[in-house]
Amino acid sequence: MNKSLSYDSHKARIQLAVLRAVVYLILIFLTFLCLFSFYMLIINSTRSNGELQGGFALLPSTHFIENLKNAWTDSSINIPKGLLNSFIVAGITSVLTTYFSALTAYGIHAYDFRLKKAAFGFIMAIMVIPSQVSAVGFVQICYKFNLTNHYWPLILPGIAAPVVFFYMKQYMESVLPMSIVEAARVDGCNEFRIFNSIVLPMIRPAIAVQMIFSFVQSWNNYFLPSLLLTKAEMKTVPIMIAQLRSADYSKFDMGKVYMFILLAILPVLVVYVILSKNIIKGVTSGGVKG
Amino acid sequence: MKKALATILAASMVLSLAACGSKPAETTAAPAATTAAAAETTAAAAETTAAAAETPAATEAAAPAAADEGKVFNIYAWNEEFKGFFEKYYQVPEGVTVNWIIVPSAEGAYQDALDEALLNQENASDDEKVDMFLAEADYILKYTNSEVTQDVKALGVTDFSNAYDYTVQAASDANGVVKGVSFQCCPSALIYRRSIAEDVLGTSEPDEVQGLLDSWDKFNAVAADAKAKGYYMTASFAETYRPFSNNVTSPWVDKDNNLQFDDQINAWMDQTDEFVKNGYTLTSGIWDDETTAQMFKEGKTMCFFGPAWYFNFSMGNAQDPEKGCPGDWAICQGPAAHFWGGTWLLAASGSDNPTMLADVMNTFINDEDVCSKLVSEEAQFSNNKKVNEKFGSDESYGNDFLGGQNDTAVFVELAQHIKFENQTIYDQLLNEGLQNALQEYYRGSVDKDKAIENFYLYINEKYPTINTPQ
Amino acid sequence: MKEKKRKGINYAKWGYIFIAPFFLAYFLFTFFPQALTIYNSFFENYREGLQQIGPKFVGLQNYVDLFTPDKNGTVLILKYALNTVIIWLAGAIPQVVVALLLALFFTSYRLNIKGQQFFKTVIYMPNLIMASAFSMLFFTLFSNVGPVNQIITAAGWSDKPIDFFAYTITVRSLIALMNFLMWFGNTTILLMAGIMGIDQTLFEAANIDGANSVQVFTKVTLPLLMPILVYTVITAMIGGLQMFDVPQVLTKGLGTPDRTSTTLIMYLNNYLGGSKNYGMAGAISVIIFIITGILSLIVFRSLNRTYQEKEKRTPKRRRHD
Repeated sequence: MNKSLSYDSHKARIQLAVLRAVVYLILIFLTFLCLFSFYMLIINSTRSNGELQGGFALLPSTHFIENLKNAWTDSSINIPKGLLNSFIVAGITSVLTTYFSALTAYGIHAYDFRLKKAAFGFIMAIMVIPSQVSAVGFVQICYKFNLTNHYWPLILPGIAAPVVFFYMKQYMESVLPMSIVEAARVDGCNEFRIFNSIVLPMIRPAIAVQMIFSFVQSWNNYFLPSLLLTKAEMKTVPIMIAQLRSADYSKFDMGKVYMFILLAILPVLVVYVILSKNIIKGVTSGGVKG
Repeated sequence: MKKALATILAASMVLSLAACGSKPAETTAAPAATTAAAAETTAAAAETTAAAAETPAATEAAAPAAADEGKVFNIYAWNEEFKGFFEKYYQVPEGVTVNWIIVPSAEGAYQDALDEALLNQENASDDEKVDMFLAEADYILKYTNSEVTQDVKALGVTDFSNAYDYTVQAASDANGVVKGVSFQCCPSALIYRRSIAEDVLGTSEPDEVQGLLDSWDKFNAVAADAKAKGYYMTASFAETYRPFSNNVTSPWVDKDNNLQFDDQINAWMDQTDEFVKNGYTLTSGIWDDETTAQMFKEGKTMCFFGPAWYFNFSMGNAQDPEKGCPGDWAICQGPAAHFWGGTWLLAASGSDNPTMLADVMNTFINDEDVCSKLVSEEAQFSNNKKVNEKFGSDESYGNDFLGGQNDTAVFVELAQHIKFENQTIYDQLLNEGLQNALQEYYRGSVDKDKAIENFYLYINEKYPTINTPQ
Repeated sequence: MKEKKRKGINYAKWGYIFIAPFFLAYFLFTFFPQALTIYNSFFENYREGLQQIGPKFVGLQNYVDLFTPDKNGTVLILKYALNTVIIWLAGAIPQVVVALLLALFFTSYRLNIKGQQFFKTVIYMPNLIMASAFSMLFFTLFSNVGPVNQIITAAGWSDKPIDFFAYTITVRSLIALMNFLMWFGNTTILLMAGIMGIDQTLFEAANIDGANSVQVFTKVTLPLLMPILVYTVITAMIGGLQMFDVPQVLTKGLGTPDRTSTTLIMYLNNYLGGSKNYGMAGAISVIIFIITGILSLIVFRSLNRTYQEKEKRTPKRRRHD
């Protein structure tokens, strides 16, 4: 009896070790796939325009500092300003999007009201409308009413984000026990306080996840901003990158373009690393017992 | 139905305005209404739009004194090339601020933003009106053949005697009214590898090479000789497209809007079919790595086509001191005169700075000091014959990349023969569409009939009014 | 199961207050452009150069045109719909499966993966690059003179370079691979957040009860994760049916070869770019809307049903809390 038990646990330990090895192999393979394009990006950012015209290379060249200097001091674009602008737009958008989506989701998840089903159905329906065509209509309206060169036509529509709402709703369904809300009500908390100080902390992982996603989406958004932001001091990063790429022949420099693409990824990476810690924190501090 | 649309838009406007607290626009013109030219009067409502449209530029005929004109000069562009020249060489009148609106061309953003601005010109306040905008040959007709641009002769740009004909043709509408000027001229030459020409033709001297390649028949025959010696004649199936398409004798569509293939286009297809079949060329596009790799020292390609900017800035592989072969190149006029690139300055209707507008245009085509500086300091080929000829005849000048050849001399000769005729507003997309569709055939993905069928499909999507063979 | 929860029925007005900002923002910014899209689909409405043609009411003509077979008997929009679905499935199935596995690996206490933060950052990184830049890199990688072909010819697997952009199978595979790479990290994080949100005491209870890891997964993790999984599948489907930027950049907007990688939105974009054909583009949007709506409903219903069935067989967790 005793013997077979230790045999079992020995077997289990071997199984676990094998499984662990397989898992690490898979992770390393995926890491390789994911990092390869970044490796190329970094290599390309060290090469001069002439070298880039010559095709692909596996080893870095010597023009990293030169490209960095050229990009940073380019007379037509102001990279620090662009990064700041993008940060403002993406930052505010992601905060508004996640907060109001969670609020809407909570409204539908936690309350019973007559139009509840209709409201949910409606949001689900507008979620599947392709965005491409309405974007064009939106641009026309903005031009008609001289709303170009403002940030809020890019930010405020984010309040109504069906996809983020849907995630919040599903997340609440799987992790938010109503018993806690009811307990808080008994304690005399008003509904807004319950949402802000009890519900939000409990869905912290979801908030962090969606803040990352909406930040990245807004950060990389080119189409709408390129048509709405035409003043140099208002431009965001993707517009500036596109501008570098449509430079005339005497100034065209792919080394600079790759350098800027690389620079544009770094802030998002930082935001990601900071926010993704919250996904884990949610488990330890958000595991509220009912 | 238009009314219903207008109602919806008006409603959306009210709502948007309520939301945004922005200052209300004065008109509620339906989006369908094409913007009238010369509508200085911002009060013009939808009903008066049509009336104003019938008298284009009438209000501009008597150009007011500059003192009464706008204080902000708005220029739309997709990059900073002209901005650099403008800031260096143009003296902006006192009290006027020049405002550059630069929208990158990626994904059509430049034309989209420009179109919206031009079509909303009458709603815009004076300081926001487009005064001048830049356009490329590929789509210039879209703007010149429209009332969003105005007659520059009426503004005071009258002397075109020194400008190259094709640049004036390109800036003119169907009735010959000139709507703008180009500040550069981009004649495109045959660029060849001297060492390969020596091997194939027995000479590398530009004059002699030109004699052996001055017609397509000779060009095609030499392609076979080059192949026999292990070379490619060109490095892309599309390399010779422009020399043919610039010289069409009929437009892409006839009077009844039927698609038609000009003899030049057919000749290009015949030539390329042969070239691909016999391995005289490669099936990659002109910008693809595979094509540009042919510019290295070990490249096997004899001919490229391009203007000065092409070999100065886009032949990096050839310029590379180690892997390239600078000095082993030369240019000649080639089988057919053509151009590639160039930027035009167009006068926007409704500009509140007509005097300055005309002044800018005159400066960049008729001011010999400025044009000379464009050539000597900026490596441009200016749009002033007199100035270019002065540089072309300078014996002391030579381009090291071209083995010391005076390229300006070749371009001076070439530029006079370029035509800009039989063009349509559809050209950019049709030319691209045909090359893209046929590339699939040349790469072996589809047969030729299918490729042409896909070309028609593309036209039907882009231009519903063009009739394609069924 | 929603119905099973006791909810504050007296609090109805708060429901309206909480959802008000969403609807306000939606009606101010998104509703009119969207309504215009549908409205436009019944009109002939495009530009030729700068000249506006229409809008002229044409009834269902745009839809009729879209569903009229060409001379080879192909209904093009169906061909593009099929392209879209094939490419989407080729990327999305591995995407969801791999993401689910990774999410389980990362949250497993038994496996106790080291360097989690590193791996989690790395797998999300492809999502940070702009799709256009990512496609640009892939285009260089797989071009005829690119590194992949250099390896293939150097290793002697083929005596001449493989033209990856000339074959249906290779182009579709590349697009699917890129979509997979760009989105599997994103999905992993979503699912991980879902698993992390599950009350840990349930896992502990299951372990004490002697459940093995397969049982824990099917009896505890999966049912509780189901809402998030439904979300993942539906949004992946919506994203998939609206697939655009990767094939657009990779095939230069052409859907090569022979339009076998043209997706629905690329087709729509063909009508928008150049001629601003709001009529046809509007009709295509409506069709995409209907297709996506029906598919979403089916997925939503069927996944929810299996989920509710599973739920019945699972110990009532809420009472457990």
